[in-house]
Amino acid sequence: MATRSRRPGAKAALLPVLLTGALALAACSGGGSSSAPASGGGGGAGSKTLVIDTSFDLKTADPGRTYEPTGLIVGKAAYETLLTFEGSDVTKPVPALAESFELSKDGKTLTLKLRKDATFADGSPVTADDVVFSLNRVRDMKGTPSFLLDGVEVAKTDDTTITLTSAKANAALPYILPNPALGILNSKVAKEHGATADPNDKAEQYLNSASAGSGPYTIESFNVSSQVVLRANAKYWGQAKPAYDKVVIRNVEAATQKLNISRGDSQVALNLSGDQVAGITGDLQVTRTASANVIFLLANRDPSVSKVTSDPKFAEAVRKGVDYAGLLELAGEGSVQAPGVIPSMLLGALPPEAAAGRDVEGAKAALKESGLVNPTVKLEYPSELTVNGLSFQPLAERIQANLKEVGITVDLVPAPVTTALDNYRNGKEELGLWYWGPDYPDPSDYLSFLPGKLVGLRAGWKAGADKELEAAGDKAAAETGEDARKQAYTDIQTKLNASGPFIPLIQPGQNIVTASSVTGLKFNPVWTVDVAGLGVK
Amino acid sequence: MSIKRPPAPGDDPKAARREPGRRGARSPLARFLVRRVLTALLLAVGITLVTFVLTNLVPGDPVAANLGQRALGDPAIVAQWRTEHGLDKPLPEQYLLHLRGVVQGDLGTSQQSHRPVLDDLADSVPATLELAGAAILISIVVGVAFGVVAALRRDRFSDHLLRVLSLFGISVPTFWLALTAFYVLFYRLRIAPGSGRIDPGLTPPPHVTGLYTLDAALAGQWDVFSSAVGHLVTPALVLALYTIGLLTRFTRSAVLEVLGQDHVRAGRAKGLPPRVILFRYVLRPALVPVITVAGLAFGSLLSGTVLVEAIFAWPGVGQYAYKSATTLDLPAVMGVGLVVGGVYLVINLIVDVLYGVIDPRVRLS
Repeated sequence: MATRSRRPGAKAALLPVLLTGALALAACSGGGSSSAPASGGGGGAGSKTLVIDTSFDLKTADPGRTYEPTGLIVGKAAYETLLTFEGSDVTKPVPALAESFELSKDGKTLTLKLRKDATFADGSPVTADDVVFSLNRVRDMKGTPSFLLDGVEVAKTDDTTITLTSAKANAALPYILPNPALGILNSKVAKEHGATADPNDKAEQYLNSASAGSGPYTIESFNVSSQVVLRANAKYWGQAKPAYDKVVIRNVEAATQKLNISRGDSQVALNLSGDQVAGITGDLQVTRTASANVIFLLANRDPSVSKVTSDPKFAEAVRKGVDYAGLLELAGEGSVQAPGVIPSMLLGALPPEAAAGRDVEGAKAALKESGLVNPTVKLEYPSELTVNGLSFQPLAERIQANLKEVGITVDLVPAPVTTALDNYRNGKEELGLWYWGPDYPDPSDYLSFLPGKLVGLRAGWKAGADKELEAAGDKAAAETGEDARKQAYTDIQTKLNASGPFIPLIQPGQNIVTASSVTGLKFNPVWTVDVAGLGVK
Repeated sequence: MSIKRPPAPGDDPKAARREPGRRGARSPLARFLVRRVLTALLLAVGITLVTFVLTNLVPGDPVAANLGQRALGDPAIVAQWRTEHGLDKPLPEQYLLHLRGVVQGDLGTSQQSHRPVLDDLADSVPATLELAGAAILISIVVGVAFGVVAALRRDRFSDHLLRVLSLFGISVPTFWLALTAFYVLFYRLRIAPGSGRIDPGLTPPPHVTGLYTLDAALAGQWDVFSSAVGHLVTPALVLALYTIGLLTRFTRSAVLEVLGQDHVRAGRAKGLPPRVILFRYVLRPALVPVITVAGLAFGSLLSGTVLVEAIFAWPGVGQYAYKSATTLDLPAVMGVGLVVGGVYLVINLIVDVLYGVIDPRVRLS
């Protein structure tokens, strides 16, 4: 080909190359220098902006529809509830908008006295009418959190007294009320923007653009996929004023969260896995706690689903065959073994020494007793789901290897969560690997694991399958005294572990990394982080 | 393709000019455009149908992805949710309702964000357009220049170097490059800003186009502008690397092909300056295949930015599409399908028209 010529225009052609390179470099360094003051201003001590990085699980800022972790962080900052929890302690509800509360002896009536000095962000007082409207709205809109107040009648006795009445004893109610989904709305503002407190309620759009609560922060901007900006409530009525003028909650993947916080671009990273925090150096603070999510195996009790797993001795073989220490090693720092289905921080949790240990011989013996010879079972699990940064895939593989040693062949059946959930919900899984996070931090939430109840049915455990355990469950639900409840739930879990279809495995760690300038971080299993509790050093 | 390219240079050039005169009233370009728009409409209906059928074929229930486990156990809540999102109706009716909505400019409400899909897209599409636009701009300038240099210096050191570079650009996985670039430029060297579209301390510019750089410039917010440009550069360069590699190779071979043709030799024989030969005799015809590749690359950039967007926390349409698909958010998936399909159609149209502009021998038939 004729390129023997003097390469026409070669120099001219080089020009755009050089220009582009120069532009790119200029822009690159320009970006760097422009970010420096902003990220300094966006964060460190003395500044008033706090940047929180988290992987978003967010749908709405309307408290009556909120149920996702990121939504609860936003809800906790912008709205206040009648009762709350101090820091990480979810075993003791304390007054918030209510100044006192009392549960009747039969556990059916909760009476709350409302504070007189609380005001919404627009300065108007928080009244008993606002409380009745807000709670009825959650219950009657039939949104995701409406079950929290199922069958609960809310009434105003006088201007400062509210009663919550349930048909049956409901000792869990004081533990349910701190949920940010039950945040109190300024009913006048909400009604002006379409709140009707029924399934046709239209206030969500407004509540996604501005907040109508009494919390220490207000919502400045809200985007479910990129970021939420909170602004300090200048008229906040409480004693502890918000420490930051502005809080930016950004949607950032875990790997990027780690780089951002290490470099000072953010001040809080919420979703780092055990492995990722292990490499954190410098003056960053790492809070390692067990999360309230319990990962468990279920062995279906329905013989029409599986002739193998329906044998109680099979569940025993699995319980003894799993290498719990190995699973903890996979889960990384902060994780703990789950002794029962109730997580360690809740009332009624079993002590760590009650946890199952590996006993390969015992497992083989149980399998022999069942009469099953080299059984093969399918293990279904949500393959792309991660809980606190821990993926289900390696867990399932490890369990497969553990049970192989016992003589059980496990076929892994991974599926996307929307597909896997279908079989799980319909009780069609032979062996399933799932997790349960508390809907509210009360042990009564875990009565769902009993025969004929929500999770029990998913394991093919129908009502009447274990009458003694079911009776124990009814008794526990009716108890109101703290000691009696604790004993009742401990007993239930001991029985569940001995003969139930569930094998509690681990609670993965919740690792939160904060910059050295941030003070007061406490992990709370309900709302993860109370933004208003964070201070500046 | 409704483009007809004459077989070789030297064919009767009058043929193209004669055609419009005979048909009279409308120019071939206008007729071509009308026909393309009509085809596009049919394709759009096809896109909605395919997306709808495929999304419904996936074994899974969007209810499971959208309600908490406890709410899933309450038939009243599940029924309410289905009614709210129109999922209680038979599938054909759901599809027709969706089509009616599309005609009325309503893409439905996203199940995950509870917002109109159009509003979600109005937020996410400009973010991706800005990123993909910057990437394609960088790619065209650098890729074409590299290709020309490589062709002109064929078999010399610079040619070999550029070819190795382009091979690197094509073969290196984008997600790896994105992670590495972010780690090195942001974390290690500290010359690039962090994730997102602007610094968190800044407030986004008033929404005009949705492109932060342009909106900030229009509003005269130069601090926001500089932050937006800074945040744009690294992800754009990462995305551009593949396209640069592609364009370098295509330009090189196209230029080499044209360099050997008679009209270039004739130009040289007439003693024309090298610059004139390069830009008018070589580059112009050589650009036709390059434009095709650039157009396709832009389309795939728009729909293929998921990983880069995830790593740089860029709230674009890739992330939106991924989240919608994994939660079986049908209205959102269909909205994204329509937008991406529409963009492909528009790009193809622009590319086809550009053929005619660059090379008059190309006729629109």
